[in-house]
Amino acid sequence: MNTKDLYKESYIVKKRKVISFIALSLSTLAAFFGLFWLVFILFDVLRHGIQGINLELFTEDPAPPGIPGGGLRNAFVGQLEIVFFATIIGVPLGILAGTFIAEYARGTKFAKAVSILSDIMVSVPSIVVGTFIYAIMVQPIGHINVGGVIGVLFLSAIISIIFGGILGFIVNKVFSIKNPSVGKLINLFLSLATAIFGVFIFLILMPKLVDKIQGFNGWAGAASLAFIMIPVVLRTTEDMLSLVPWTLREAAFALGASYFKVIKDVVYRAAATGILTGVILSISRVAGETAPLLFTSFNNSYFTMNMNEPMASLTVTIFNYAMGPYEDWHVKAWAASFVITFFILIVTIFSRFIIHLKYKG
Amino acid sequence: MKKFFKLPISDIIFAIISFSASFLVLTLIFSTVLVLYNESSLAIHKFGILNFIFTVDWDPVKEVFGAAASLYGTLVTTVLSLVLAIPIAIGIAIFLTEISPHILKTPIGIAIEMLAAIPSIIYGMWGLFTLAPIMANYVEPFLQNTIGKIPVIGMLFQGEPQGIDLFTASFILAIMIIPFITSVARDALNLTPNIMKESAYALGATKWEVVKDIMIPYSKLGIYGGIVLALGRALGETMAVAFVLGNNHQITTSLFDAAATITVTLANEFTEADTDIYLSSLFYLALILFVLSFVILAIAKFFLLRAERGYSR
Repeated sequence: MNTKDLYKESYIVKKRKVISFIALSLSTLAAFFGLFWLVFILFDVLRHGIQGINLELFTEDPAPPGIPGGGLRNAFVGQLEIVFFATIIGVPLGILAGTFIAEYARGTKFAKAVSILSDIMVSVPSIVVGTFIYAIMVQPIGHINVGGVIGVLFLSAIISIIFGGILGFIVNKVFSIKNPSVGKLINLFLSLATAIFGVFIFLILMPKLVDKIQGFNGWAGAASLAFIMIPVVLRTTEDMLSLVPWTLREAAFALGASYFKVIKDVVYRAAATGILTGVILSISRVAGETAPLLFTSFNNSYFTMNMNEPMASLTVTIFNYAMGPYEDWHVKAWAASFVITFFILIVTIFSRFIIHLKYKG
Repeated sequence: MKKFFKLPISDIIFAIISFSASFLVLTLIFSTVLVLYNESSLAIHKFGILNFIFTVDWDPVKEVFGAAASLYGTLVTTVLSLVLAIPIAIGIAIFLTEISPHILKTPIGIAIEMLAAIPSIIYGMWGLFTLAPIMANYVEPFLQNTIGKIPVIGMLFQGEPQGIDLFTASFILAIMIIPFITSVARDALNLTPNIMKESAYALGATKWEVVKDIMIPYSKLGIYGGIVLALGRALGETMAVAFVLGNNHQITTSLFDAAATITVTLANEFTEADTDIYLSSLFYLALILFVLSFVILAIAKFFLLRAERGYSR
């Protein structure tokens, strides 16, 4: 090997090293580019938002357009109410569905299909959800509001399940039953009572709600947020339940526990932190949704707690105020954005931290 | 079935309740398609399928509706945002897997994922009040004076820079979808077996060559999946785009013009639709968007599942 070859080789090596250095620097730059936008957006929201934050923002209703002063109490209350009812409807359904596909239907084709479809549902455009709920719950179909009936059906089912659970808990605590056949009988009675209670609630709520649900209403907003929540909660529940080691269940089976008992007392307990964190994450996700609320709960410039009326929400208010012509509205919109962004960021960081501690640490 | 009824009663009840909950998920998807189809049947009968897709007019007064302008806007913003986002997102993923010191990996990873947690309406507001003026005053004139001078490509950069246009909208979308691609790509890159990387290093490969020739080919299915997932996200994004796109039902050649996407049209006009055919056409748009994003997300899922199977082998 003469000196020329040596020179050539080291030249190639040098070239490869330089290329490597340039490429790696570019990816480092990309990371800083991403962080730059995060800091830029957060800083901007902070800078503009802090000006509008005062006590009146939370305690007063909006002043008439163009007149300074007033607050966004109606929007804060409306947002809380809509998200609360969305959680009440969406979380139990999501957890139950996740439990079924992770436990009873583990490994079946049905479970796989539901899991894949809900993965897809997580990313379905949220505005389409809004149009769907508009069609079934806002727009009256004929004379019977089909969506309203279905909505009341679900609501009464959920209330009765909660009722049954509490009843069962009390009965179990008060009379500690040892005899299995008596236990079975009592369980049968309890479930009958639950079912009757559900029908009862349905009959009570039906005329009260469905007749009045016409046009935009808060329930429709809650339903569309619940629609978005269900697949999110389902997937987290499924993941968290499948992280629970199978041997734990076998140990409980070996003691003669039924599958329901195993799920309730062993699996749920082992996965509680994970499921709870998933629920919190899903709440923070729907709290920032605007598109599905635009034509379901719509907007209301007055204070209302009645879910049958159009209801103001923070996000829709931000949209209207930011698009509006008044400087005062813009300040309020920034303030509301500030509240909602930092609420979501803190919740997200907090729950990620918990997941990190529990599952990776 | 016989076995099922021998179970304790609590088991039967719980299984039935939880089954109906999971069945509800299936029902929700199918009923969405059915309801949207039912609502849009008026427009489907009047305008047909292909005719609707290729008609540019969107005229509520004459009651002539076509999806072409909205579809065009959706397509342009989505493609442009992907073009901007993919290199950066993959760069970040490479940084997070190979370059970053171990201690910074988690914080930077979480920070990038924070970008996905910020509500889209905040992106929209920020875009309208902060980014659009910057775009109109600095970025867009600069682009016009440099790339805009090249003959054919210059077509894309004509017009008075307003900041409320396709380019700004795509830029915001790009920032929004970066975390989706990054997190999937990072997980995929992380799964490359160490032994393959070590063999390449032993042959004298530089770090970039290991990334380019070993890690990226190994995890390409996962990366495709992440990109298609981000595509589905970008298609359906509403609020971030609604602020900075205007609502202009025209097909324009310049990226510096206002336009409309399906989502923006829905957000702006749904509550204002006063005739049946108008509302029905809007439902038709929603149906098209739903089917489109469903198909794209299914493709993404297909890639990701294949990738998963590939790694576990």
